[in-house]
Amino acid sequence: MIDVDTAHWVLEEVLKRGAEHAIIRLQERVYETIIYDTGILRSYTVSKVVGLGVRAVIKGGTGYAYVTSLNRESVLKAVDRAITLTKVASQYGKKSFTPTAPVKDKYRVEFKTDPHTVEPKLKADLVKDVNTNSIKRAGIVSAVTRLGLERDRRVIVTSEGTVVEVDVVGVGLAHMAVARYGAVIERVGDRESYIGGYEHIEKRDWNAFAEEIDKLAVKASQSKTPSPGTYIAVVDNEVVGLLLHEAFGHASEGDGVVAGASILKNRVGERVTSELMTIVDAGLVEGGYPVPYDDEGVQKMRTVIVEKGILKGYLTSRDTSQELNLKPTGNARAQDVSFDTLVRQTNYYAEPGDWKVEELFEGVSHGIYLRGRGAMGGQVNPSVGTFTFSIGPSYIIRNGEPVELVRGVVVSGNILETLKEVDALANDLKITTSVFGGCGKGGQTVRVGDGGPHIRTRRIVVGGG
Amino acid sequence: MIENIVERGIKVGTKLGADEVEVYAIRRVGTDIVGTIRGIERLSSGERIDAGVRVVIGKRVSVQGGMISRVEDLDLIVETAVKIAKTLPEDPQWISLSRELGKSHVEETLDPKIVEPETDYFIEIVQFLLKKSGEIDKRAFTSSASIHLSTVERAIGNNYGEIQREDATEASVFVSVKAVEAGEESGYYEAYVAPTLARFNPDELISKATEVAVKTLGARRVDTGVYELVFIPKVFAGVVQSLVVPAVCADSVQKGRSPLKGKFGSQVFSENLTFIDDGTYPGLTGTRGFDDEGVPTKRKVVFDRGVLSGFLYDTYTALVEGKNSTGNAFRNVPYSTPTPWISNLLVEPGSGDLSNLVKDVKKGVIVYATIGEWLSNPVSGLLNATITNGIYVESGEEKFPVKGVVLSGNVYEVLKPAEVRVSRSLERFGRFSLPAIYVPKITLAGK
Repeated sequence: MIDVDTAHWVLEEVLKRGAEHAIIRLQERVYETIIYDTGILRSYTVSKVVGLGVRAVIKGGTGYAYVTSLNRESVLKAVDRAITLTKVASQYGKKSFTPTAPVKDKYRVEFKTDPHTVEPKLKADLVKDVNTNSIKRAGIVSAVTRLGLERDRRVIVTSEGTVVEVDVVGVGLAHMAVARYGAVIERVGDRESYIGGYEHIEKRDWNAFAEEIDKLAVKASQSKTPSPGTYIAVVDNEVVGLLLHEAFGHASEGDGVVAGASILKNRVGERVTSELMTIVDAGLVEGGYPVPYDDEGVQKMRTVIVEKGILKGYLTSRDTSQELNLKPTGNARAQDVSFDTLVRQTNYYAEPGDWKVEELFEGVSHGIYLRGRGAMGGQVNPSVGTFTFSIGPSYIIRNGEPVELVRGVVVSGNILETLKEVDALANDLKITTSVFGGCGKGGQTVRVGDGGPHIRTRRIVVGGG
Repeated sequence: MIENIVERGIKVGTKLGADEVEVYAIRRVGTDIVGTIRGIERLSSGERIDAGVRVVIGKRVSVQGGMISRVEDLDLIVETAVKIAKTLPEDPQWISLSRELGKSHVEETLDPKIVEPETDYFIEIVQFLLKKSGEIDKRAFTSSASIHLSTVERAIGNNYGEIQREDATEASVFVSVKAVEAGEESGYYEAYVAPTLARFNPDELISKATEVAVKTLGARRVDTGVYELVFIPKVFAGVVQSLVVPAVCADSVQKGRSPLKGKFGSQVFSENLTFIDDGTYPGLTGTRGFDDEGVPTKRKVVFDRGVLSGFLYDTYTALVEGKNSTGNAFRNVPYSTPTPWISNLLVEPGSGDLSNLVKDVKKGVIVYATIGEWLSNPVSGLLNATITNGIYVESGEEKFPVKGVVLSGNVYEVLKPAEVRVSRSLERFGRFSLPAIYVPKITLAGK
């Protein structure tokens, strides 16, 4: 059912009913997850998202309808609903969409072994092995190990003649260990994902991966929380990714900008970060999540948001690009067909500098080395520019050396202040993605990638215990 | 229709040799209206059917499911579940699916205005919310306003009891207001989230959002140090949901991930705090006749005047301890494995209103909004959040707005002192009905 012919048939039905412009989206996503919790198989689940979404435009009014039942009657009902909403919407305001040249393309992630065809027992045994070994380690009181396997197929057909098929396969393993030391219980979790087939799972030593996490959890349970206050910080690749995604990426999303809800509105051409920084959003990048086309069928190009500290533009969809007088950047994305698109990031990162990582610590008499392993994520209020992250176990820097592990680290800052304080970027660019989560906005979660090099910032607020 | 899916799935699973079969189906019909400063942005509407199957062969358990395109899809899901279950290792703790299927009486869960929504009426409400903030205060404008309406039909059954079916509605109205003056910007959002529109007052919603956005213009950091804090109910709910709720769920306790393990009967919080879980409480989004395993919901005290008096169980965690489920099975989607979670969480009121709590503050902050509270660590109890909208208070008087300050502390120390007090007035949103709360001591990292 998820094929171009079905999409074309639906498109024809929408146009027959008077739509001037339409986008038809079909999707089938299979997600398999196996969870072992402290020695016991907690769940083995395979779930499937399948359905169709229709966006229609008549006289500037836009309506979106979706359906999961793909029989003819239900689909036609959805088409009628989209047309009805479109007519209602046209009475309340008009939207225009930047025209794009039609594209015909198929993008498929290459893989050797489809992860869903591997024997279930083999996969369950791998997770069991990693999990049961973990809970035997001294100091570990509980552990959760999770295997995630995903295949997401999308078909996008537009009335302008675009026909795009995207097929992405991803795999990964996540492990969370809980350690106890006296009355202190601490958790550390990490995950590693690959775009490609089950071969990536087979070649990694997952016991070694889990052992590192377990050891860190044990050490963290024996460590203190940092003294709250303002610190000079060396920030690792993972935290830089979080920082850019939350602190800058969301504010550069065009829908927030046109709604007046972004602190970056009307600042194109202004210096918004340290002049050392160049920030980019790219659909296809090593280590990231592949987004060759967005859910409007627009090719996702490399978009420079900040060049040497100067704000160059925003991420856009076809309607926000019209409003902002920019080209569509291919950032209109939806979690699945039950949602219309929002402007979202793809792979957001900072270009590397030329420092060696160890040079960033030189001359820091008292600071903090912010580490991503065990980080829980972050949040931003893009309208006021305040952001916050929960960081993994990190190190206090004394006299140029990371010397003392601290737990429970939270950092906070303001978008327009923190990145101006960056005074050095290392040369170790690293971008990662995850098949276990993603970025949340407007009730939708999409897969993203983020990263950058190690950086040093002169000032960041750290909360602790 | 959805009962047919459940019935069919149970039959197919039993025929294929499963010892136990549970099928859960949800049909959701939704309408969304989204507006921004540009006007009405998006109208969307749709229908989705999701179904999940849990099959058990001996002590081997498998859960499968997804969106349903055709009724026959379910046969394939059940077949896959049975096939996979046969290959899996046993769960030595497995006892049984629920044998307590049934339904409690609940009220205020269905609103005809949501079942058959008049799109024009709701568009007008969004337009009102977009316009009104600027009329209340020239410095304010509404950056976004949205209404999401859903009708939800749920049916669940297993091979031990009758299929349970329930229909409900959900309404979520969000409004974000920005205020701008002399180069300073602030923003604040308010939300109405409930099963019906019975208590929805658009005027009140936009007035509150505008008031806080404007009064927190020009916010700055306070010095790093120890302060008294007053959390408005919405912020208190965020703290409770992030730290207290996971810790009272039986799975966390059984797996050693709860600081409350071994604390049953102990004084955990201030005597002024009584927490109740109640899925039958009218008019909250967790109000429903049965949980996500088909077990009737009920009222139970979790902390009685600060004393830990009960944990929340689904069937699996209850049977591990030889107990009955408390009707707290929760699933994100019908095809996930259930875990214990709150139904509705109520905190008993105290005395006085928010201003009574503020007037005794010597040096503190009223917290209207935070970000990142959900990143706090329920395993250690460590609370961390960044204040985005606050007001610094000295000797009971509001002095200046605060933002960008990280609050940190262990929730079991922050909420334990005898001086902790809660307001008499309660606010309802989503699954919560809570008062405002005063805490005497918490660390703020600022300047």
